Amino acid sequence: MSIRIAVIQFPGSNCDRDATHVLNNVIGIQADLIWHTNFKERKYDGCILPGGFSFGDYLRGGIIAAHSPAIKEAEIMLKDGRPVLGICNGFQILTEAEFLPGALLRNDTLKFECRWVHLRVENNETAFTNQMNKDAIIDIPIAHAEGRYFYDNLKELYDNDQIVFKYVSKEGLLNEESNPNGSFDNIAGVCNLERNCVGLMPHPERASEEILSPFKNTHGIKLFNSMINFIKSRKF
Amino acid sequence: MPIVGNERDTVEVALTEREIEKIKSLLGRDPYITEWGMFDVMGSEHCSYKSSRPKLKLFEPAEENYDYVLAGPGQDAGVVDIGDDYCIAFRIESHNHPSAIEPYHGAATGIGGIIRDILCMGMRPIALLDPLRFGRLENNSHSQWLLKYVVKGIADYGNCTGIPTIGGEVEFDDSFENNCLVNVACIGVGKVEDLAPSRASKPGDYAVLMGNSTGRDGIHGVTFASRTLTQQSESDRPAVQIADPFSKKLIIEATVEAVKTGYVRGLKDLGGGGLSCASSELTGDGGTGIEFDVNKIFTREPNMTPFEIMLSESQERMMFIIKAEGLETILDIFKKYETPHAVLGRIDNSKLLRVKDADKIVVELDPTLLSDFPVIIREEKRPDFLNDLINQKTPERTLKFDEIIYQLIASENICSKEWIYRQYDHEVGVRSVVKCGDGDSGVLRIIGTNKYISASAGCNSKHCFLDPYEGAKGAVVEIGCNIVSNGLKPIAMVNCCNFGNPEKPTSFWYFSECVKGMADSIKFLNIPCVGGNVSFYNEDEVLQKVIKPTPIIMLLGYIEGQENIITLPFKKSGNPIFLIGETKNELGGSEYHSVIYNIEGGTPPKVNLDSAKRTWDFLLDANKKGFIKSAHDVNKGGFLITILEMSFPNELGADLNLYDCFDKDLTSEQFLFSESVGRFIIEVDADKIKEFIALIKKCKLYFKEIGVIMEEKQIMIKGLEENFNLDMIIGKNLFNSTLPRIMEGDM
Repeated sequence: MSIRIAVIQFPGSNCDRDATHVLNNVIGIQADLIWHTNFKERKYDGCILPGGFSFGDYLRGGIIAAHSPAIKEAEIMLKDGRPVLGICNGFQILTEAEFLPGALLRNDTLKFECRWVHLRVENNETAFTNQMNKDAIIDIPIAHAEGRYFYDNLKELYDNDQIVFKYVSKEGLLNEESNPNGSFDNIAGVCNLERNCVGLMPHPERASEEILSPFKNTHGIKLFNSMINFIKSRKF
Repeated sequence: MPIVGNERDTVEVALTEREIEKIKSLLGRDPYITEWGMFDVMGSEHCSYKSSRPKLKLFEPAEENYDYVLAGPGQDAGVVDIGDDYCIAFRIESHNHPSAIEPYHGAATGIGGIIRDILCMGMRPIALLDPLRFGRLENNSHSQWLLKYVVKGIADYGNCTGIPTIGGEVEFDDSFENNCLVNVACIGVGKVEDLAPSRASKPGDYAVLMGNSTGRDGIHGVTFASRTLTQQSESDRPAVQIADPFSKKLIIEATVEAVKTGYVRGLKDLGGGGLSCASSELTGDGGTGIEFDVNKIFTREPNMTPFEIMLSESQERMMFIIKAEGLETILDIFKKYETPHAVLGRIDNSKLLRVKDADKIVVELDPTLLSDFPVIIREEKRPDFLNDLINQKTPERTLKFDEIIYQLIASENICSKEWIYRQYDHEVGVRSVVKCGDGDSGVLRIIGTNKYISASAGCNSKHCFLDPYEGAKGAVVEIGCNIVSNGLKPIAMVNCCNFGNPEKPTSFWYFSECVKGMADSIKFLNIPCVGGNVSFYNEDEVLQKVIKPTPIIMLLGYIEGQENIITLPFKKSGNPIFLIGETKNELGGSEYHSVIYNIEGGTPPKVNLDSAKRTWDFLLDANKKGFIKSAHDVNKGGFLITILEMSFPNELGADLNLYDCFDKDLTSEQFLFSESVGRFIIEVDADKIKEFIALIKKCKLYFKEIGVIMEEKQIMIKGLEENFNLDMIIGKNLFNSTLPRIMEGDM
């Protein structure tokens, strides 16, 4: 049985093609671009909510898309144990849909920030990090204006081990300087209690080919490979 | 301005009495009021190029002389064939006047407009570049305000539409204090078969207006842009359109999908002149006609008059000419993306543009009348003040060289522009191979091929001010050097000419000389000019300031094979450093003069096109042979600044011995700070040095081996009047901190 992934296109998504490119052309599995109103979960083993400005991010990043019928479909997938990844705007949508805890606020710099950062893997037992070592450092870029992670009960996240990635320095130090947007506790990505839903602000699809990385590595692809590994371990 | 019209309606037009008489005689009657509005807009300098056209003839016809040029000047964008059915569209234009009044929406709608130009060729927009000019920032809150909101306007629009801003250029100079320049460029990619002409050539096709509703915003934007800025310009703010990048994103996706069906025969964006410009150009160029009722057009507010509807410059609108059999398919695509649209009517063979308001005819004329405005031959005169300026001498130096270098590296025109480009998403689309700060140009891959393109845009306004002919030549060479230093070959040019009031002979002289300089150099370098834009009237009447002449050059580069791409940072300690190209006594218009002495004069650089061309050929050849490890062209501040910029990213130092590296007639100061054009700093693979030297000698190029890269974080300079060391970390901090300090108050 072959694996099939859906990449959901909302009006205003703009990293949809990039994620599809990595899955189709770099990894070589079938990924379909699906318009949000046409998405039916039955056909898919997993789905990705890509980055961009869904519905123009009017009102608040991700809030309108969180009410799209596609999110109902994604919810069915999650309940069924299938993996759902939210990248950047996709992460905002997942928090607005309350599939993931917390919210993404305006960066503390008050500006859009496009640059490469470093993440430390905090939890390597999720659908999207099972091919990584705990505490491994991942080189990956960010590009967002609303990425400051906030949650009013951080203790709960720690107790449940829901923090997946934190921003750190190149050497792995967790400090204020390595935090590009003022996120609480340098949090860059979180997961749900079941570990099959992950959201992160950085862009793994931009860090999946050596030619695009200033560090000449492909750390981002490990998220997608983990997803495939997770699907295989469920299916076969 | 004259008032025209009839007993009921009158309108003020920016036309001359001669033009008014000519319009009446061509039409054989007095135009209706809406027609007057259309003639006014189409006759504006912005739309008609009536002053510039005689000079622009100096550019060779690109489509005739270069077989890979698919679309040249006069089209919405230039298009070149890069093989295997792929083509690249690109264009640059100005949005200066709106940005000077309302920087956020002015800049954002500039981006919106240039994206539409690429889109209406049927291509997917994949990159943006923005050359900018402002007044000096330090202690000037107005300049800071303009910079902050222009950058935010570009960022919000580009980021939201998912088009990376891969490069740009900025200069700060007092002459741009009120009249800032915002030039915007866009690049698109697609298949040759998807190219859509801006023509309605077949009767029976449907004309469909798609995109946002038509409102009262932006009425007469182009006539406003064809005047100088005055105290009253603040009240022109309603002439600035409002940007809507989210709608644009949907329009992009809907258009690209529609074009792929093969049912789109013609496509035109609604920009300056709105519906009147789009409908007359489509039918005029196609030799056809059309009739439609203005009531079919969806408006943003009730009770808009036909005059307002035809002249509105509301953003985010496109006009599609659709093959009859494909209408339903195309409308379904528009419905999927929820983009508003209206079928206006069918193309006919009447050769008339007829617009009705219910049963009343409001426009009925031959559309070619609108696009064929008579040219005006303008007077030109070299300004008298230039001789004194060019004879200005460099004051006696009191500072030490290291102090001067530290001042230069921190100066506004040289310092890092990271504060700007970090606000731009420069990676979306996963094509950006050489990113902002890593090279002199932005390099993109064409996914699914082994092809790479690059683009760079800019010019040196100070050099052009002292000598517009040589300055424009210098701009072509300097931008070409940016392309070559990343290992690509310049294959096509577009330009954006920013000048003062063409009715003033000295302003027009600058324009005329710059066009000559551009035309002569691209002819010599075998680069076709595939498009351009002219922005006149960049004058500030309040402060009596004319902008420095700014002929922005944008070049497209091309190469096959990732292995051929070179980046800017020094790679390895032990590798030798070469200075290629001759340094002359050319301190005129240099940053050294301006930053250290606050003077603008002196002898500006003269350009040797032959040596530039041979240097490019040599470098591309040496690179293919694997000799070159990093490259950066010498630009503002002189070659030592170039070396510092190469040393910062990997924190590698350099040990330089400059004894015997320069002409004996030059002083150390002239050698260090001259901005002679066409020079490069090259890092050569230490194992290939013999072959490199043999090749460069064979090519008879001027070169000097000036030193070697080292681990120590210092630049050590020997062999000049005084030996000195530069601390790289101090230099790097100065380089990086200027814009954040000024713009954010960060220390």
